[in-house]
Formats: sequence, structure tokens, C-alpha cells
Amino acid sequence: MFKYITQRILLMILTLFIILVMTYFLVQSVPGGPFADPTIKPAVRAVLNRRYHLDQPIWMQFLQYLKGLSHLDFGVSIKVQPQADVFKMIAARFPVTIQLNLLSNLVILPVGFILGILAALKKNSIVDHSIQIMVVVFISVPSFVLAALLQYIFAYKLGWFPITFSTARHMNLEKLLSMVLPVLALSFGGIAYIARYLRDELSEVLNSDFMLLARAKGLTMRQAVVRHALRNALFPLVGMILGIFITVLSGSIVVENVFAIPGTGRLSLAAISSNDYPLVMANVLLYTAIGLFARLILDLAYGLIDPRVTVGGGKNAE
Amino acid sequence: MGNNTVNTIMKDNMTTNNVVNTTTNTVTNTQRNSILSVKDLHVSFSTYGGTVNAVRGVSFDLKHGETLAIVGESGSGKSVSSKAVMGLLSKNASIPSGEIHYDGSNLLKLTDKEFSKIRGSKISMIFQDPMLSLNPVMKVGKQITEMLFLSGKIKKKDAIAKAAQLMKAVGIEDAEKRFHQYPFQFSGGMRQRIVIACALAGEPEILICDEPTTALDVSVQAQILDLISDIQKKRNLSVIFITHDLGVVAGIADRIAVMYAGKIVEIGTCDEIFYDPRHPYTIKLLAAMPDMDMDGSEELISIPGAPPDMLYPPKGDAFAARNDQALKIDFEKEPPMFPISETHFAATWLLHPYAPKVELPPSLQKRINKAKTESKKG
Repeated sequence: MFKYITQRILLMILTLFIILVMTYFLVQSVPGGPFADPTIKPAVRAVLNRRYHLDQPIWMQFLQYLKGLSHLDFGVSIKVQPQADVFKMIAARFPVTIQLNLLSNLVILPVGFILGILAALKKNSIVDHSIQIMVVVFISVPSFVLAALLQYIFAYKLGWFPITFSTARHMNLEKLLSMVLPVLALSFGGIAYIARYLRDELSEVLNSDFMLLARAKGLTMRQAVVRHALRNALFPLVGMILGIFITVLSGSIVVENVFAIPGTGRLSLAAISSNDYPLVMANVLLYTAIGLFARLILDLAYGLIDPRVTVGGGKNAE
Repeated sequence: MGNNTVNTIMKDNMTTNNVVNTTTNTVTNTQRNSILSVKDLHVSFSTYGGTVNAVRGVSFDLKHGETLAIVGESGSGKSVSSKAVMGLLSKNASIPSGEIHYDGSNLLKLTDKEFSKIRGSKISMIFQDPMLSLNPVMKVGKQITEMLFLSGKIKKKDAIAKAAQLMKAVGIEDAEKRFHQYPFQFSGGMRQRIVIACALAGEPEILICDEPTTALDVSVQAQILDLISDIQKKRNLSVIFITHDLGVVAGIADRIAVMYAGKIVEIGTCDEIFYDPRHPYTIKLLAAMPDMDMDGSEELISIPGAPPDMLYPPKGDAFAARNDQALKIDFEKEPPMFPISETHFAATWLLHPYAPKVELPPSLQKRINKAKTESKKG
């Protein structure tokens, strides 16, 4: 088990490094640069480029960047917030993004579960068909379109919710209200995925032989569903929770812009569109690290919840 | 109309059985009272293609302590009939008519909740594939005792002892340890033993076995069959044994019902079906069984054609189209159940007094003669 985790962490670091190298050179190869603005005088541009070592060959820059990284120096922002420490910028914004992400997961999971279970139990009924239609709409329409629609209808036209996100430091009613629409916009896709998936999985399990045996033993339909069907249908879902977390994270890049939310999503977009190299790199590293780490936790969790899975190929089985 | 005839004949005969039971001494089962009686059961399924009439008027009685085998090919309605008895038909199934009497009540009139009080504790069932019929993520001991615990018959702390006792009864060693294992840690035969333990936990009176050995390999098959008949004797169970394997039936059944196209075409004691088959379908099934005594020159008999499409059940005798001895009336009118003895009935017009005499295929006749002389010697 310990050996397995060590192996996994080493592999994670390797993966992270490969992604780092690829992103670094990809970002730098984008035409233009932070100071490509034609209104900047060439002399000024030269000074600025020298200031940020952009005049050096790219491999020199890369080595310097690595040197910085080795003592956790992610560099300073070039364009978005010049001279500001990238790490501090992200640290200030990340909690906002995570807060929204977790809130939408809190919406996605129960709503998705209920819809999925309902659709499976009432398969081929009007309930099932309506849920299916909803699922197709939510999956096909991207979250930023839904975000704009929600904002237009419920904030601009009806005025039920604020148009933009409240930046109040502490939670209050206004801030809570301003979170409703972004959280909803981020949740629809995940709800649809969970509902569709759980419906298929559960209706397969409901038709399985072990459900028949459970019923033959005398369990009522409700007991059999709760004790036998749900647990089996929920296993594969654990894997999806990670996917949903990541999807919401990437969805928030655009949704944060629609609602002017000061999170890492908005920061990433600003960094990318202004070629702020260190900021882009730091964001990519953050998102990649979260993804890899979540994957590891998930694989370890499978070993705990599913008796058939032995983490690390140990000899748990008889 | 045909069904009514069947019913009257069955009814008449039930009463005669009760009256004349002192005269028979070879067949013990006829004397027993029936514990379960199915009357004119119809089951149909609504599908996209139309209504499939899977079971079309099945009637039988299960007597105390007997093993009734229901034999038939895939799609003959044997499994569907048994699932109807358990109240476990799928959602698209409907039962347009029929009665299933158990313990003074008609099971078909019960709500699902009332039915679940009978399932497991009065009538229990085991299934074809032990690889699929256990919950893969629940400890086997828990699966065995689950219902006892839920119904409050035992306390949680007594569950292990109870499960161990049941596991020992079905031949699982080291039960205290294996209680905590999961199905994937057991072999196919062992899993079927656990399924049987699950079915027995509620101490049912009737056990329905739906092809319990089909998914097992031959040596394990024999063990499971032995176990079932052993348990039946010890617990005085009444067993409905569903199979398509006549070889399996020969060893364990007291009576055999042969099903074809959703109907019972012949029913009788084991000896009557094997030594005196009357319905052409039974005769052909028996003749199609290979035999150790056959030499290479004999050709194995096969039944031509395929079973009818139950979306459009044929008029008359469903087997007529595949029967070279079919009479004209077989295509026109459903044959009633003709009594042959007090225990033996067959639904074929060939048993009508005016019908021509039926000769058994020579190879089958030879085999029957041989078996008869052997049993006399033995």
C-alpha cells in the first residue's frame, strides 16, 4: 500500500513535469507576446522585454523558471497585475472558485441522484421521459450559454438576483443571492450527467438476478432497491464525481467571467488573453495538480468502498 | 373452451385421486394433499412487437413433499409460470386470468407488500446463474440472514450463528470465517450453495428451482442436485424444479410436467413420462436423447422445425406443425387433457378413442423395454 502510494506520487510528479514543459513551450509559441501592442514604442518594448528576461533564448528562460519553481517561486505577473506575486494572486482568488465549485457539487449530487433514481424506477413513464428531455438539453447547451440566459432572465429581466457576484468579504444574504445564478449555471451539466448515468446504471441493476433473489427472499421492492440496487449503481458514480469536479472547474473559467466573479477561472482567462506567461503557467499547474491529486484520492477510495478492489495489487483476497 | 375442459378434467381427477388413493401403492405422491395449486394461469407480456402469450392456461398441483419437475425448451413458459407463482414477473407482464392457491388464498390477488410476506418465508426460489444471483458487494453471511434480521426474527448478534448453521446445512465448511467473505471469493458451485442457503433462511415450505444447475459444470451439477434432494428430505420441502434437461429430471423428480408453447402438454409420474410417454412432443424429446447403448448405425432423432412464435400462438395443438403424426383436428382444435391414469394426463388428440394407434420410435421402445427389465431385476 505504502509502496503503491509512493509510486503513484512519483508518477504524478513526472506527469506534472511533462505537462509543465509542454505548456511552457506552447504558451511561448503563441504569436505576439505580452508587449506586442503596436502603440508601445520599440525602445520601451525592448526595456520591458529585458525587464522580464523575454529577450533571452527560450531555453534559458525555461531553466530560470525551473530554478524559481524549485524554491516555490512562481514568478511575478507581467500584464494582468504587473509585478504582483503570482502565487499570492492565485491564493487570493482560489477560495472563491473552490467555494462555488463545492456549492455546485452540493447541488449536482443530490439533484442528479434524485432525478436519476426517479427515472430508473419509473422507466419509460412520463416522469422518465421528461427527465430524459431535460438531460439532453442540459448536456448539449454549454454552461456559459446557460449562464448568460440565467443572467438575462432572472437578473436583468426579473431582477430576482444580482447581475454580478458580490465581493463582500463575509457571507450575507446579498452575497448568497449573488451566488445562486453562477452555481446553477455550473450545476446543470453535472446534474444531467449524473441523472443520465444513474438511470442507465440503476435500471440495469434493477433487472439483475441478485435483485430477483433479494425479492425472492422476501424483501419489499423498497428494501431491495435501497439495500441491493443503489449501492451497486453508486459505485461507478464515485468515479464520475471527480469528472464533475473538473468539469465544473473548467466551466467556471467562463461562468466567472459572465458574473464577474473574482476567482481563478476569471484570472486564467485574463492571463491567457494577455499572454501573461507566469500567470498562465501557475494556473495550469494548479489545475493539473488538483486533477492528478483527486485521481489518486479516488483510486485509493475505491479500495475502501468496493470490496472487489484491492489497491496496489496486495493479497487482500483469501 | 379447451381450457375449461382441461380444468374440469383436472378437477375431476383431483377428487378421484382423493377417493381412490388406497388402490395405488406404487405411486405415493398421489395421496398427499396439494400445497400449491395453479389453475388456468395465463401470462402475457406487452412488447413493442405486440402481446406475447408466454403462458396459456397452465394448471398443476404441487403436493406436500414432492418434487414436480417442469420440463420444456426455452420460451415454453416454464420460468414465467414459476415467476408468476413468486409474484416476481417483470413490469411489462400481465396475468389476464388464472388462480394460484396457496394456504387458502389466491396469491394473484395479493398486493406486493402482502406477497413479500410469503416470499422467502413460505415460497422461496433459486435461480439459474449463481454468478449473478448474489449481490457482489455484500458479505455472503449478511445476504443469507438479511431477511431474518429485517423481519425481526433474529437479532443482529445472532446472525453469524444462524448463517453458520445454514451454511453448514448446504455444505460450506468453515462457515464462521466465510460469513465475512464476498461472493467473488467463492466458486460457482459454492455460490449456488449460498443462494440455496439464502432461499432456505426463511424456512419456506416450497422451493422453486429455476434451472439451478444449468450454469454449473457437470460434476458440480451432481453435487448441487444431491444437496437439493437431501435438503428436501430433511426439511420436507415441496420442490418445483424447472429444467430443460431430462437427464437431470430423471434422478430427482416425483412427477414431471412437460411444457410446450405456454401449455402443459403432458403431466405424470416420473415412470409414466419416461416409460409411457403419450404426447408426441414428449415422445420426440425422449427419442432425441442420446443413449449409451446406441450403436453408430442408429441416427439420433431430431425434432424438425422451431417452436411457434408466441406473438401469434397457433390454433389447435401448438406442436402439430412439427409433428409427423398430427391429425387434421390437431390444426383446428385444441386438444383437452386426456386422462391415461389417475396421475397421467396428456393433451393430444391421439389419445381420443377414434384416433389411430401411436407407435413409439423403435430406438425409444428398445430403450424403454431395456430399462423396464433392468428395474424388474433390480
